[in-house]
Amino acid sequence: MRAAPRAGPDSTLHVPWEWHTLGNGLRVVLSPDPTAAVVGVNLWYGVGSRNERSGRTGFAHLFEHMMFQGSANVPKNRHFELVERAGGSLNATTWFDRTNYFETLPSHHLELALWLESDRMGWLVPALTEETLSNQRDVVKNEKRQRYDNQPYGDWDERLQAMVFPSDHPYHHTVIGSMADLDAATLDDVVDFFGTYYVPSNAVLTIAGDAPPERALEAAARWFGEIPAGSPIPPLPGHPDPGPRIGGTVRDRVRARVPLPRVLIAFRVPTFLDPRFHAVEVAGAVLGAGRASRLYRTLVRERRVAKDVASFVYPLITGSSMMVIWATGYPGADPAALEAALVEQVEGLASATEAEVARAVALTDTRFVRMLEQVSERADLLSMFTFLFDDPDRLNREMELIRAVTGEDVRAVAERWLGPDNRAVLAYEPAP
Amino acid sequence: MPQRKAPRATSRARTAVREERPLDRTRAPVLGAPVPLALPELSRFTLSCGVQVALVERHDLPLVAAEVLVPGGASAVPAPSAGLASLTADMLDEGAGGRSAVELARLLEGLGATLDSAAGYDDGHLTLLALRPRFAEALTLLVDLLRRPDFDEGELDRVRRERMDLALQLVDEPRAVANDALSRLLYGPDHPWGPPLLGTRATLARLGSAEVAEHHRQRYHAGNVTILVAGDVTEGELRDLLEACLARWERRATPPCTVPAAPQPDCPRLCLVDRAGAAQSEIRVGCVAAARSSPDYFPIVVLNTVLGGAFTSRLNTRLREEKGLTYGARSGFHARCAPGPFVARAAVHTPVTDQAVGVFLEELERLIEEPVPDEELERAKHYAALRLPQRFETVGDLVARLAELSLYHLPDDYWAGYVRRLMAVDAARVREAARRYLDPRRMTVVVVGDRAAVERPLRGLGMALEVMPGAAP
Repeated sequence: MRAAPRAGPDSTLHVPWEWHTLGNGLRVVLSPDPTAAVVGVNLWYGVGSRNERSGRTGFAHLFEHMMFQGSANVPKNRHFELVERAGGSLNATTWFDRTNYFETLPSHHLELALWLESDRMGWLVPALTEETLSNQRDVVKNEKRQRYDNQPYGDWDERLQAMVFPSDHPYHHTVIGSMADLDAATLDDVVDFFGTYYVPSNAVLTIAGDAPPERALEAAARWFGEIPAGSPIPPLPGHPDPGPRIGGTVRDRVRARVPLPRVLIAFRVPTFLDPRFHAVEVAGAVLGAGRASRLYRTLVRERRVAKDVASFVYPLITGSSMMVIWATGYPGADPAALEAALVEQVEGLASATEAEVARAVALTDTRFVRMLEQVSERADLLSMFTFLFDDPDRLNREMELIRAVTGEDVRAVAERWLGPDNRAVLAYEPAP
Repeated sequence: MPQRKAPRATSRARTAVREERPLDRTRAPVLGAPVPLALPELSRFTLSCGVQVALVERHDLPLVAAEVLVPGGASAVPAPSAGLASLTADMLDEGAGGRSAVELARLLEGLGATLDSAAGYDDGHLTLLALRPRFAEALTLLVDLLRRPDFDEGELDRVRRERMDLALQLVDEPRAVANDALSRLLYGPDHPWGPPLLGTRATLARLGSAEVAEHHRQRYHAGNVTILVAGDVTEGELRDLLEACLARWERRATPPCTVPAAPQPDCPRLCLVDRAGAAQSEIRVGCVAAARSSPDYFPIVVLNTVLGGAFTSRLNTRLREEKGLTYGARSGFHARCAPGPFVARAAVHTPVTDQAVGVFLEELERLIEEPVPDEELERAKHYAALRLPQRFETVGDLVARLAELSLYHLPDDYWAGYVRRLMAVDAARVREAARRYLDPRRMTVVVVGDRAAVERPLRGLGMALEVMPGAAP
């Protein structure tokens, strides 16, 4: 057993971990670190918007809200009250492929988190009411209004996903879903969803920080051990493999309430599970991370055709993932010219230099080490690598894999996945 | 999915279950004793140029964070030059020490380092984060930015244009429109905190490289800055590094920075900014409240936690968890070098705008009228006090805590006494603070929303209503 996380001579990482599986299939990962009297608890469930059936988009996220509305032994509001009174912070997020729930607490409150999490994993149903469902439906609809409907460019992901993924693919719709589908959700849906996906064998529990592994494991087994295992998870709806490329350049042009024109381009790329994903991530960073990146240097600084630029890659796992780049133009800019400028940089990636790749690797590297500073992030990453790769130690090899990306790998990304046969172009123009 | 490897040690877990007494799930588990907060050790030294340095060593991860704190910020700039502090900070990496902006970015990013410079209301700052083996080199570049920026007129033109267009862009961001309108109303157009930190299109148009260079000359020198470092570096290493690049750095007199008193309204105000067809109304309720040095600081922290500082606070409980009118409601006291604003906020569904404003005002009134019940008060105090360890988690957190001590002249044992002082706050002090800072008769309410839908209901609240056509960029 190693002690706290520590760095090797070349700044490689050694985050300690232990992995156990309870009789009901719940995977438990422990990562001790006595540096601060803080413990992070993370529950990662293998369910997200990709599991939603047609007519119920947005449901996985609405369900996540219902997990905070009390369980058999925890009245509504008590969950938040108890954690806050303990000086903890908590939240949950819903994503395409998973839903995670997490608390960070002073370490002597570990069992409080385990009690709350196990009560809702095992005994959510007795607490469900029409009243809380209706209240949280209103909250979620307000979340959609606030973050999407009342924001300039707020519907960009809905539009891009619909272009990048075919209509029968689980990523065709967004995590937030549609208002009509949120309205259609019933209490029976909540009960079914819970019984199907919120079972120990579809989850990873990670406890990171100031908790001795022996005691943490004993406590995890005590609180979670008696929850029934549940049935195997049903197959995904639709067709999970969309093929490697979009098959052309598809376009969407929107006149909207936006102050400045913006052009976004999305590409289908290999998934997070694919060994080539690191090269895609580094290629994205060569294009758009930092001020020496191709997009910033050229479009913003040298040619001054863009006010800001961005690039990112989603770590999705179902068939294909998505890379997105964008540029916001100055008032009156022509979207076609912005698109041409973006495309030129994307195509230029086919001749990316070793120095450019080294810069992108260094940035990606530092970003990864920074994530390990917080127990909550460390716990989340351990849950993720355990769930997706059956391998918590992948966390300790991740930097090696990023550093192994070469110029040739990045150039191959440009050739294979960023060509005109694999682009979705979305242009926003200010409405007159 | 890859093939599953056999997980280890499944048997230990089951043994553990058998040894335990039956579980009582009906109540929260009994807790062990809290682990006392071990605050990291702080060392201080002064460089030969007179600059003070504070360091917290931490060697668990190969990371170092550093901040150069430059007191002043927007507080040091008169309103007609609004945006100057922020523009100056932004210009530091646009060429310095004989290197172009692109060369600087290439070098820094090649080191995997992140270096940001920005200005707030009370300070400008450069923050650096680097892996240990590359920290020394990155720090040298930081010092170039700090001491030898070019402020090239051509680069300035571009940055100013980006900022003017950002100001234009923000006119369509309802949150920014609401925040800016509230600041303008609370402090007035002539106060340094009236306009946004970014400045306005009008003030930005007046700022050239002469103004930027002069602001830099007045603030960015050895007589004004403090350096804060945390992470995987020793005191000896750091001292040598800093002496090597700051040895003969010039000290100048720093012009005093006195923030004028804000106007105090004698009646409540309600201001509606039209955003036709908006799906939601952005609501702000605020007043000019307290400075960071206020003796009411700890009662204010508790008061705000009860009202809107946490998820279970009154505003969020009523507006979200009981009524479903919003995704979330929060409040905060922005304590600065002079009395900063108290701001409560939520984005609510358009048809319930007036109802939500009514709830905000009721909750302020209730804190003045009724003492906070014991259970609720204890929860708020524990929440605020026990989260302290989380504020010391990363090297970036540590540097931020050091900067807070330095900027607001707090003693080195401030964090050690923090929990005790918070826990000493009682219901009477909270109510007194509420009377002093949350009087609904002194509140300014801003609503950014669909005038056609919300004006008539808002008039029903019985406050004088001022309608603004939309924020001027």
